[in-house]
Amino acid sequence: MFTLTEQQELIRNLVREFAVSQVAPIACEIDDEARWPAETIKAMTALDLMGIPFPEQYGGSGGDYLSYIITVEELSRACASTGVILSAHISLAGAPIYQFGTEAQKQQYLPDLAAGRKLGAFCLTEPAAGTDAASQTTVAELDGDDYVLNGGKCFITNGDHAETFIVLAMTDKAKGTKGISAFIVEKAFAGVSVGKHERKMGIRAAHTTEVLFRNARVPKANLLGKEGDGFKIAMVTLDGGRIGIAAQALGIAQASLDESIKWAKERQQFGKPIAANQAIQFMIADMAVQVQAARHLVYHAATLKGEGKPYSKEAAMAKLFAAETAMQQSIKAVQIHGGYGYIKGTTVERLMRDAKITEIYEGTSEVQRMVISASVLR
Amino acid sequence: MPNVITCYKWVIDEADIRAGGGGALSFEQAGRKISEYDRNAIEAAVQICEQQGGSVTAISLGGPEVKSSAKDALSRGPERAILALDPAFANADSQTTALGLTAAVKLAGAYDLIVCGEGSGDVYAQQVGPRLAELLGIPCITFAGKLTVTATGVVAERKLDDGVEVVEAAFPVLVTVLPDVAKPRIPSLKQVMGAAKKEVKVVDAAALGLAGDALAARFETKALKAPASNRKQVKVANPVALAEAIAGAVR
Repeated sequence: MFTLTEQQELIRNLVREFAVSQVAPIACEIDDEARWPAETIKAMTALDLMGIPFPEQYGGSGGDYLSYIITVEELSRACASTGVILSAHISLAGAPIYQFGTEAQKQQYLPDLAAGRKLGAFCLTEPAAGTDAASQTTVAELDGDDYVLNGGKCFITNGDHAETFIVLAMTDKAKGTKGISAFIVEKAFAGVSVGKHERKMGIRAAHTTEVLFRNARVPKANLLGKEGDGFKIAMVTLDGGRIGIAAQALGIAQASLDESIKWAKERQQFGKPIAANQAIQFMIADMAVQVQAARHLVYHAATLKGEGKPYSKEAAMAKLFAAETAMQQSIKAVQIHGGYGYIKGTTVERLMRDAKITEIYEGTSEVQRMVISASVLR
Repeated sequence: MPNVITCYKWVIDEADIRAGGGGALSFEQAGRKISEYDRNAIEAAVQICEQQGGSVTAISLGGPEVKSSAKDALSRGPERAILALDPAFANADSQTTALGLTAAVKLAGAYDLIVCGEGSGDVYAQQVGPRLAELLGIPCITFAGKLTVTATGVVAERKLDDGVEVVEAAFPVLVTVLPDVAKPRIPSLKQVMGAAKKEVKVVDAAALGLAGDALAARFETKALKAPASNRKQVKVANPVALAEAIAGAVR
């Protein structure tokens, strides 16, 4: 079903070569130290990876959507932290500006994001507004030519390094979800600050922080869409973001399979490689099937989005399946590695910790099932 | 501003070759790639022209499957490619390859420098570069680990077994290079996409004036087998016995 074009294959090859030579070698270290991979981001910028799906007129690379998704997959195969840094930057910050921004907003913000001069982040989640994203308590009040934002966002991927935020806030509490608006907020605006850094189980090199607004003045011109469009913008943005996270999960799942195959051939017990045991062979066969199935769902959702067709249900399916595949395959990979798989510094223990978040963020697996069932029971 | 030609071979990716029972090799799932040293050659050529101006033409020769190499090669910096494609070139030996490349080089127009990899990643015969130079009637410098281009020629450091030899040659000249000459870049996404817009000229054996003896096979591959390696778990009682066992095995 999915035969990549020559160009997509070359793009995959370039990202794979980069990931193997420069991302994988530091993956363990940056995870252990929860260190932001500044050198990787710089190199990704030089390779034109920071704005793949955006047109060249906005400083993007003019690539197709599937190429972007394959990029996230290949990066995540080496380091899931690096994968999500890119996915959040493109899918959650660049994409809503490209999709909902005015021409002036696109001209002002996209070139810096697409060229990697600035990093983006998406500020929706609040301590009491997770899956229930409509319960926003951050407020935006119009005051002259500015909106004044007050409130706090949490669990923001790229929070500390991003300079351009998409922020959701209540402009009219009485209207519920229709009272939520979206804003393009620069970190440089007065009243915007970065709060607590989270210490996480996995994807530790991708920084997750609070982003706080205290009388932050945001020019009226930075309202994204119209007042009250925020919830819709957030939901559409998350639909796209899900394909990015699905690709991240796919990369983790593929890496789990890669590591398992390598180990099963190398590891000798009872005078033969453990790959000679049917129990291991069957586990690896099952893993390979799951990974391939996940890849088809992910590429299919990406292709639909790239072709401008509806993809909401397919993105949810891809994200649900790929995330659960990443979790299950990484657990099996640790099992195949035995005691060695439980030791810090081995790739598979990191994969198992990294996999878990894919079942949680940008819509939990339960939310994906809600989206899918609502679509198929309609 | 030198006009530089770089030649590359589109070889089977050895990482994809599967060895089966009895040493049988399977190439079925094998992808292709630009031969390793040729990547260094392309990078060296591109770096020279990035620093000094001029232009790089990439040339390859082989069966029809080599067509899919063009975007890969062009994403690495050359401005244009000439592909000598013909089913008769599918298993071309060094002499046929050199004859075909000679004709292709003439199609490329005026040139100052030709950069080739020291040897190909599959057979590493180290024949094509020197043969091509001979056929073109230009000097050839082999084993170049460092290459500097001056206004009128090149200075190359030849890495030999017993030392480094520095040689000079005036344009036009052909140089075969070792990996040290330039580390291949990873092409950027825009370079990959831009490669689709570059000029690719495709010519067959007839267009190159090659027929008959020029294409005739000069050797035949009788068999290709994987080296056999068996893990022998020999248990010995003490270090002396171990030493004797090793000595016996080596003999």
